[in-house]
Amino acid sequence: MEYTKEKKVGEGTYAVVYLGSQHSTGRKIAVKEIKTSEFKDGLDMSAIREVKYLQEMQHPNVIELVDIFMAYDNLNLVLEFLPTDLEVVIKDKSILFTPADIKAWMLMTLRGVYHCHRNFILHRDLKPNNLLFSPDGQIKVADFGLARAIPSPHEILTSNVVTRWYRAPELLFGAKHYTSAIDIWSVGVIFAELMLRIPYLPGQNDVDQMEVTFRALGTPTDRDWPEVSSFMTYNKLQIYPPPSRDELRKRFIAASEYALNFMCGMLTMNPQKRLTAVQCLESDYFKELPPPSDPSTIKIRS
Amino acid sequence: MTDIQTDEKGASNPATSSAAEKEKETPSTSPAEKNKPPNYKRISDDDIYRHSSQYRMWSYTREQLQEKRIDTNARAVAYIEENLLKFREAHDLAEEEMKVLEAKAIPLTMEEELNLVNFYAKKVQVIAQHLNLPTEVVATSISFFRRFFLENSVMQIDPKSIVHTTIFLACKSENYFISVDSFAQKAKSNRESILKFEFKLLESLKFSLLNHHPYKPLHGFFLDIQNILYGKVDLNYMGQIYDRCKKRISGALLSDVVYFYTPPQITLAALLIEDEALVTRYLEMKFPNVEGIQEPEAKNMTKEAQNDTSKTEKDKKQNTKDEKSSIDAVKLLAVIRECKDLIEEPNPLSTEDAKRIAAKNYYCQNPSSLVQKLKRKMNEDTSTAEKRQKI
Repeated sequence: MEYTKEKKVGEGTYAVVYLGSQHSTGRKIAVKEIKTSEFKDGLDMSAIREVKYLQEMQHPNVIELVDIFMAYDNLNLVLEFLPTDLEVVIKDKSILFTPADIKAWMLMTLRGVYHCHRNFILHRDLKPNNLLFSPDGQIKVADFGLARAIPSPHEILTSNVVTRWYRAPELLFGAKHYTSAIDIWSVGVIFAELMLRIPYLPGQNDVDQMEVTFRALGTPTDRDWPEVSSFMTYNKLQIYPPPSRDELRKRFIAASEYALNFMCGMLTMNPQKRLTAVQCLESDYFKELPPPSDPSTIKIRS
Repeated sequence: MTDIQTDEKGASNPATSSAAEKEKETPSTSPAEKNKPPNYKRISDDDIYRHSSQYRMWSYTREQLQEKRIDTNARAVAYIEENLLKFREAHDLAEEEMKVLEAKAIPLTMEEELNLVNFYAKKVQVIAQHLNLPTEVVATSISFFRRFFLENSVMQIDPKSIVHTTIFLACKSENYFISVDSFAQKAKSNRESILKFEFKLLESLKFSLLNHHPYKPLHGFFLDIQNILYGKVDLNYMGQIYDRCKKRISGALLSDVVYFYTPPQITLAALLIEDEALVTRYLEMKFPNVEGIQEPEAKNMTKEAQNDTSKTEKDKKQNTKDEKSSIDAVKLLAVIRECKDLIEEPNPLSTEDAKRIAAKNYYCQNPSSLVQKLKRKMNEDTSTAEKRQKI
């Protein structure tokens, strides 16, 4: 066997993850063993999506699919070894990080997301837990089990995607059409969470998520998002005014003006007006001081 | 791969690339241009395509493809011949029987295999269409099926047994989920036979599932032609061209063009079949030849374009700037013509021929049935002879 499975590190609905190593190189790897026998419809959709999209992407900020093999009727995805993730780092209060560190992480995340988007791939489940760290501090966008191709305009999609707290308003409204802008919203929420070190929009359930989101950022109106009021659930909403600049400054004390612009650009209600990945990468936030930290020097282990 | 990995900030997004974005590239509007390193190059859509698994794993030169087929066939032939030898050794065969085996238990040639695969690929298309699956799912089914038989021989896996498997996996891969039970019901099959070779299929596809088909480029060209030749093409007419090209593309997916050409090239070839003048005109305006190797007629066309509205003028300039280094209409047309010729090559296998090859395929794998058939025939002969004697 070219790969060894040494330690079980996780078990999900459709896979078990092991740590191991590659025989020929000694390289540390993770093996995601897809439980195929459990599915009556043959290969599971999540597994298919993961295989399909990871095959297409080679980028320093997207998790690397090293190999795939079959053993005992199971499908095994050999992935690069990524020891920790952003959720763990945010929660570990013994780890201190600076605005420059956050900038480095945002830059890497957006490069990975942009690489997905220019390959016409929507991730649809961006959250701190799916942004993994390599041993040298690089962020890797991971878990493509919900990914899909960027749809053509006539395709009808399910809005039941993305983990609740990171769900864009158009998804909360149950939109049947959406774009790569949903991923950017998630990145915006993650950015806020990095600055606050607590989840920014922690809705208790789907209804509460709308309440929490609009209370924090203002209820969208037809003026800035034409026809938003024609969504079925719109009428039941409490109308909150958007936060003033001062309110935002108070909430995000350490954020510079450019950082706030950057965040508001990603957390724009109207998906058509929201920043694209390219616009994010070109924003002034990345051009002003401090420069992003060198990823390998950021301490992500307590 | 390094080019994609090292680029970051400035690369153009193919999904949203628009006139507005192109504007940024012209020096007058972009001060950032000056700060770029001298070897700065944007990642193009072509670069992205070159990283796709379709290009990396499933695009070949004619020689490579031929070699691959010869190889797959040779491996199967060796296997079949070994089995035939074993069969001969294990059975005490009469001279007559040996003769029949020598005449009929012969492995398929590479050409026969290819013909049979293409015959069944057409079946895949018909069945998938019959199941009312979206165009892209049908296309992916065909692609999976044909790729499977680049890796496997029809002498080892019966193409019939994989038809539903490929369609079912294509459904899932294209995000068009149908449960296996309802699929089986619709396709008049059963779940065991649909799922039996699913792993084998996935493995043979080298776990490469994302297909780029020419239908998206068709839509793109359909819009761009109307933009570039604004006011010179009739909308209704373009609609007809679109539908006819779609059919052409569906036909082309059954041929080897998919291994030799990129989806946009195949699309342009289909367009060329439908209206050569339109495509030539479009390409010459889109990619004006700056070196001036054009034919006189084409030159006039460009001049005409220069006198056009300022909008077209601006577009043209941008195009010249963007593409002059990489795309040359004359060269491009030559490639597309080659592709067009291949699309138009007839694929003449009749059902009778297919049946003949299928029978040959069966006998080379089941020599015992040939022997039994012979025995039956001889018995019949003797019994008729006996009957005759009695009379």
